[in-house]
Parts: sequence; structure tokens; C-alpha cells
Amino acid sequence: MTLRAAIIGYGKMGQIRHRAMERHGGFEVVAACDTHTGFDAGIPLMTDPMQVYDYDPDVIFCCVPNMMIPDVVCEALKRGKHVFSEKPPGRNSDDVRRMRAAEATRPELVLKFGFNHRFHDAIENARQLIAGGTMGDLYFMRGVYGKAGGANYAQNWRNDPDQSGGGILIDQGIHMLDLFLMFAEGFSEVQSFVQRKFWTDVPVEDNAFALMKSPEGVVASLHSSATQWQHKFILELYTRGGFISVNGILSASGTYGTEVLNVALNRLDQDGNPIPNPESQEIRFTEDRSWDKEIAEFHDAVVHGAPVLCGTSQQALDVMTLVERIYAADTDWTSQRAGHAARAV
Amino acid sequence: MYTPVFIDELPDASTVSSRKSELYRLTRARGLTELLLDGTTPWHDRACPGCGQDRSQSGNFSQALIPFHRCSHCNTIYAAKVPAQAPLDALRARLQAERPEAHAEADAGSRQEFEFVSVLNWIRLTEARAATGRPLAQVLDYRFCSENPAWPGAVARLAQNRGWQFLPLAPDSEPLADLARTLRQSPPDAVLLNAELDRSADPRALLQTIRDHAPEGTLVFVATSCADGLEYEILGADSPSFVPLDRLNVFSVKGFEALARGLGYDCLEISTPGRLDAVILQRYFTEIESAAVPFWSGFFREADRDRLRDLQILLQRSLRSGVMRFVLKT
Repeated sequence: MTLRAAIIGYGKMGQIRHRAMERHGGFEVVAACDTHTGFDAGIPLMTDPMQVYDYDPDVIFCCVPNMMIPDVVCEALKRGKHVFSEKPPGRNSDDVRRMRAAEATRPELVLKFGFNHRFHDAIENARQLIAGGTMGDLYFMRGVYGKAGGANYAQNWRNDPDQSGGGILIDQGIHMLDLFLMFAEGFSEVQSFVQRKFWTDVPVEDNAFALMKSPEGVVASLHSSATQWQHKFILELYTRGGFISVNGILSASGTYGTEVLNVALNRLDQDGNPIPNPESQEIRFTEDRSWDKEIAEFHDAVVHGAPVLCGTSQQALDVMTLVERIYAADTDWTSQRAGHAARAV
Repeated sequence: MYTPVFIDELPDASTVSSRKSELYRLTRARGLTELLLDGTTPWHDRACPGCGQDRSQSGNFSQALIPFHRCSHCNTIYAAKVPAQAPLDALRARLQAERPEAHAEADAGSRQEFEFVSVLNWIRLTEARAATGRPLAQVLDYRFCSENPAWPGAVARLAQNRGWQFLPLAPDSEPLADLARTLRQSPPDAVLLNAELDRSADPRALLQTIRDHAPEGTLVFVATSCADGLEYEILGADSPSFVPLDRLNVFSVKGFEALARGLGYDCLEISTPGRLDAVILQRYFTEIESAAVPFWSGFFREADRDRLRDLQILLQRSLRSGVMRFVLKT
């Protein structure tokens, strides 16, 4: 079955989704909306998001900045459209709750958020190894996700808290938190340091350090950074039976390197103690299939009623709540934000 | 299809070649000579066991005892004439029986234990990754238990939650009948062919037997020598790993893949996890001072341990190490 799709927000992400839908073959993109329409996209372009509904789409792809996401998602659900929305799911957990309330009124519709990192091949492999019990109980996780700011950092809407909800943590670190939640399900304790080091005149964090513990005792540490200067993704999972690491992540920019999975199972000595530096298996992934798998899951959910496993609104709420807890756990940061908000008023 | 790299510490060069292995080579050469002199053993000429290319189109690799060719199409190295499987099995069984006990004890050393663990972990990780929907509860080991007597003991100590069945080398007038019978009577979830395909007079028949008699979805773990390895590329028949009786077939990656796919197997995983190419080559060039190969002789004489490790990993990543592993699915 071919789904008629309209894309609201036809920037970088909207165009990535468009290409993924073309590769899938189960979609017909009938219209797109953006502030810039002076180019040939091969489909009707418009600036008024309400006009896309004139093309009678079955599904809406919401690829707009964070502050617009709740309105676009809720409107689409109200009009009876299935929705695929980019992350982060709004600016805060209240935004997610609002979308979940709209979702609850239309249980026959699919709402999925684009946390595509779960679909990366190395991550899927890691999940198989953990879930299948091959590695034994999970002890702790380390995640580093960072970059070098970006062009027009100070002017970018992503770094305006009124539009984005926060800085590097909510923009990029949220992916790592989503993966942590996939492996550990939830955290009962959160500690953090949230900092502004380089772009001191920009009212969002450029670094966030978080230490979390799940009710089962799994400890996770995150460093999300905009001042790392080299693009880097590292996820390490240490278990009773060995370890898994993912170094690099295939991305649209291609700047985070090849995606390399390393897996090692412990070798034991005669007394049953692990011998240091076990043999590890390295698998390199060079093709980013995450966009295609994500689109395929959405298509299956809409057409065949298959459950959405990655990017549910519950997962969106969980990760957004965790982002807020990390911000809140650093009282210095909370005070700074409150001061900024007061000055803005 | 996955192409994993197996990263581990390099062994000391001193452990790579020793008096024991020289004795081993001489014993094998003697056995092969006896087989050649025995007028009752039938021999037959053959084409490349990998891609099937006629041997007239391949170059000579060695004339040591029997002619070996290197296939110009797929790079597989192979004995151009081989004995029938039954007398070959009888010879192997006799040589194993003659092996001194001290040899078996030495085999139980830590290096070998690491290799055993590597094989067992390979199966565990592939089991998780292959997503066949069922655990590999029963594994059939075909003959590695005979080739390496310490193996069953290691399996008993180290293999967790998995049943193992060992099918040792048993000379029979009807080769492969024992394998076909076992596959039918006790169908395994996986078959391990570790260091067996090199020694087989008819590797196609061995793989065909498994394909015909194992249930659909059975995984076949194959570990064998690799003709694409740098050791073979540089040293050719001088390679210390080239023991004619044990290396009737040294498949290339391309050649073995062609054979497996031609028999209807799915190839799930290919790797060349060898750890020894770099240290073997260093030992060769430092021991034989007159050996001169452009670039390589100087490289290996000057390389430190760190450089050797980097090279070995690069060889693995390039599928250019002297050992290869395949995971096939029936």
C-alpha cells in the first residue's frame, strides 16, 4: 500500500526523510512546506503548513524546529493523519504530554518520533547481544557524544532556549540518553554538571556531564559536548561477561567516522577470574541504513498495524523527562537559567 | 554479510616456529611420501576446488612431493592430484596414533587455550548475531577433536549451555558415511569444521554431505587456511604454514565463497582472523639474512611489536591474513 505523505519542514531533515521514503517505495510524497520554496524539489512546495492538507496526505512528516513540533503534531493527529516527527519531541516534557494527549484521542493513528540511533547497525548488534544474554548482566555504560559547535552557533535557533528548549544536551546528547534508556530502561538517581565554556554569551549549555543509576544498579555516565572540537561518538557497555563498544556513528554529515562495533567475551583463568585484554571482535559498518529502517518501521505500523518499537511517545516522554532531570540536578545551572529567564522577561 | 576482525595480543615470535613443528613437518612429509610410494593408493588429478577452473590455466605453486597449483582465477592454492579419501584418512589416523604424549601435553598450553576460547566465543557471538531464532544448543564437531586431542576437554570446561557431539577421524572404506549418518540421526544446530577442509581430498563432497543431510538453517562454522594471506603471498611454498599433507586445499576467500554459494549455502560471515602472518614473516626475514623481497624484508627486520600488530590488524581488515573463517547457513 502506498501512503501519501506530506513533509512539514523541508530543510535538511525533511529532505533526508524524503529520500528515505523514495528508497522505501511505499510512500508518495505529495507536498512539502518550508519557509524557503524557491527551488525545484520535484513536488509542490508551499509556505503555509495548512496547505499540505489540501493534497490529502495519509501521513505527515514533521521536520520543523523544536518549538513548532507540538502544534504540527497535534494538528495532524486532529485531522486524522499518522505522524512521524523528528526529535527532540518539542522543548520539554510538557510538550510531549500535550502530544500524547492528542495521540490518546486518536488511538487508531500512529505517532512515531525519529530517534534513529536505535536503528544503527552497530547499536542493533549491541542490543541483540545484551538482550540475548550473551554478554551477561549489564554493569555500567559510558557515552560520549560531541562536536565542534557549528556554523553560526550563536545565531542558530538550536541555541535559543525559547525555540529549542536547551543546548547540546537536548539537541545531540538526547540520542545517547535514548540509547541508555533502551539498555537500562530508567534511572532513579541523576547527578550532573551543566556548563557554558566557550559560547558564554549564548544562553544554552555547551557541555553536559551526567551520572545516572538505574533501580537495578546500572550506572551510566554521559558527556555531551559542543566544545569537543572533533566529532565523536562513543558508547561503551560493560557487562559481567565482557564488553561492547561502538566507536563512531554513521551520520548525514559523515563526520563521526565509520561505525565500529567491538565486542569481547572474557577469557577466564583456572580460578575463573577474567584475564585482562580479551580477544575482541571488530565489525565496521560503512552504510547508514538507520533512516531506511526507521521509515520501514513507520510504514509497517501504519499499513500493517505492527507495533512501533523505537520512537514511541512513551519513550519520547521518558527521554525528555531525563533531559530535564539532568538540567535540574545541577543547581548552579538551574540558577543561571532562572536568571536568564528573568532578564528575558 | 559480516566481516569481523579479531583483535588480540600477538604471540611471541619464539613460539611460532620450533623444533616441535619441524618434527611435525618431517613426519607429515614422510607420511605423504609413503602414500606416494604405496602402489595401491588411487590418486586423481583435479581442477581448482574453489572456483573449478581447469588446472591447466593455473600456475605452479610448488612441486614439493606432489604438484601444487595457484588458481589464476580465484587464487586458491591446491594439490593438483590427491589421493582417495579412505587411504588419506588411514594415514592421518596412523600419524595421530604415533604422536607422542608429550606433544599432546604441550598442546594444552595457554596459547592453544586462547585459540580454543576464540573458537568458542566466535560461535557464541555469531549465535547472538545470526538471529536464526533458535539457540545453537547442539554443535557437531567434525574431526577437530582428533586433530587436537585437548579440544574436547576445553569444550567441557569452557562451553556454556551447549551440547557438543564429537565425530572423530575414523578411517572407513566409505568416507563421509559417518558424517551423513550422524547428521540424520542427531541433527545438530551447528557444525564445526575447524582445520579440516585443508586436509580433505574432496572438500566439495564434505560440504555437500552437510548441505544434503543437515536440517535447513543449520550453521556451519568453517575455519581453514587462507591463500590470500600475506605469508603465502610473500613466502609462497616457503611459508612455514605450508605442510603439503595438511594443506591439500588452501582456499582463497573468493574461491571458498564460490564453492559454498555454488552448493547453495548462504554466507553469513567472512573473516581472516589470523594472528601470525606478521610474526612469521618477521621471524623468516630475521633468520634468513639473505632473503630479500623488495620493501618487505626491510620492513619486517625493522618492525617493532607495535608495528607488527598494526600490520596484522590491517591484514585482517583487508581479508589478507593466513587463516579464514566462514559462517555458512544451509
